[in-house]
Amino acid sequence: MINRILRYSLIFVLLIILQLFLFSNIQFSGYVNPFVYVMFIMLLPFEIPSWLLLIISFLTGMVVDIFTGTPGMHAAATVMAGFSRPFVLRLIAPRDGYEASSEPSLLVYGFRWFFLYSLFIVFNHHFILFYVEVFRLADFFNTFLRVLLSTCFSVIFIMLLEFMRRGK
Amino acid sequence: MRNLLNFIARYNNVIIFLILEGIAFSLITSENSYHNTRFIKGIRGITAVIDKSVSRTTSYFRLRETEERLAKENIILRNMLGKIEKEENTLFFSLTDSVYKQKYIWSVAEVVNNSVNRQKNFFTLNKGYNQNLAADMAVISDDGVAGVIVGCSSNYSVAMSLLNIDFRLSARIKSNGYFGSLNWDGKDYKHAVLTEIPQHVNLIAGDTVETTGYSAVFPEGIMVGIISDIEKSGSDFYRISVLLKADFKKLNYVSVIANLQKAEQQNLEKQFQ
Repeated sequence: MINRILRYSLIFVLLIILQLFLFSNIQFSGYVNPFVYVMFIMLLPFEIPSWLLLIISFLTGMVVDIFTGTPGMHAAATVMAGFSRPFVLRLIAPRDGYEASSEPSLLVYGFRWFFLYSLFIVFNHHFILFYVEVFRLADFFNTFLRVLLSTCFSVIFIMLLEFMRRGK
Repeated sequence: MRNLLNFIARYNNVIIFLILEGIAFSLITSENSYHNTRFIKGIRGITAVIDKSVSRTTSYFRLRETEERLAKENIILRNMLGKIEKEENTLFFSLTDSVYKQKYIWSVAEVVNNSVNRQKNFFTLNKGYNQNLAADMAVISDDGVAGVIVGCSSNYSVAMSLLNIDFRLSARIKSNGYFGSLNWDGKDYKHAVLTEIPQHVNLIAGDTVETTGYSAVFPEGIMVGIISDIEKSGSDFYRISVLLKADFKKLNYVSVIANLQKAEQQNLEKQFQ
């Protein structure tokens, strides 16, 4: 248990550092801002109670908010991602369900499963994030394009990180 | 009562979800306009130290470039000084004459935190009201418009970048004097959009766009950028794409300009509105 908490804290710190120093500086023409720290919420174990999941999501968002100076913006998006996670897991559950005491990972459940999983979660997160950032509906389709493109890139980076995590 | 408890037990995660989203949105709506000035002031102290050391390191890499720019600027200023001195020798005027009264005060500040990849970008300067900065002062970089200060703490200021979809600037075309409104469309950190220029005006790509000084924030004639693309939209106005003079990706040293007569101008204007 303690071991697990330590491991997740390490993953958390690594993802936040990667996000702030690497991915927040990536930018192609203003349409692509990948946010990979959402991966932390995706990797939490299956049996985590949903209230704890929501609170961890909120705190994750707040930490990113503090460093980027945008109180509430990332928190709103991560809470949405955490809230939607049980529904997404149910939606894409493999035929024989999830193994007890396993964690969401590419190795156990396969490429296709993990891809769909990250796609849904990341889309939910980015959808809220970008619309909250703009806070208006004037450029609806423009913002939607940014959501889609950023989602693509975030998913690609998350898949890469997941491969690297397994390779270790 | 029992039903209520049952209800809460059943939908507990929906309730937690709504509470947390409520907290997040109340933070967004109440704090975001002046972000880091109030809410994260304490934590800002820690992150500002990190930002400062990062910017101190990266400024070394731009040293050569900065040096060149300063040298050029020095030459321009020397030339100007020469002109002024000559005039002072030949002209006789009283120091209290309002024609020669200083209108703008310039000071220099360093950018310690900056972003270009959001829709609402802000940057932080390493001076605050202890160094006589205040809200609504203009910020200029590389002789190009960079932003406007929106909030100060004792040693830091937060400025709204030109790369912010809420930023509006009154700008005109230098060659013919037609003015319009400049704002950022949130797409590319190198370009902004100038609107409200009527379609009967003759324009060519490459024309200079500069500030008008109507708002009493920016002095007149500060360069904004050059026209890179002209598009005739459906209305009577052009939609002009402006290549910005300031490079927001490497904002380092900036000039802050205070207008000493702003209060006077605004008070007078207020009487007729």
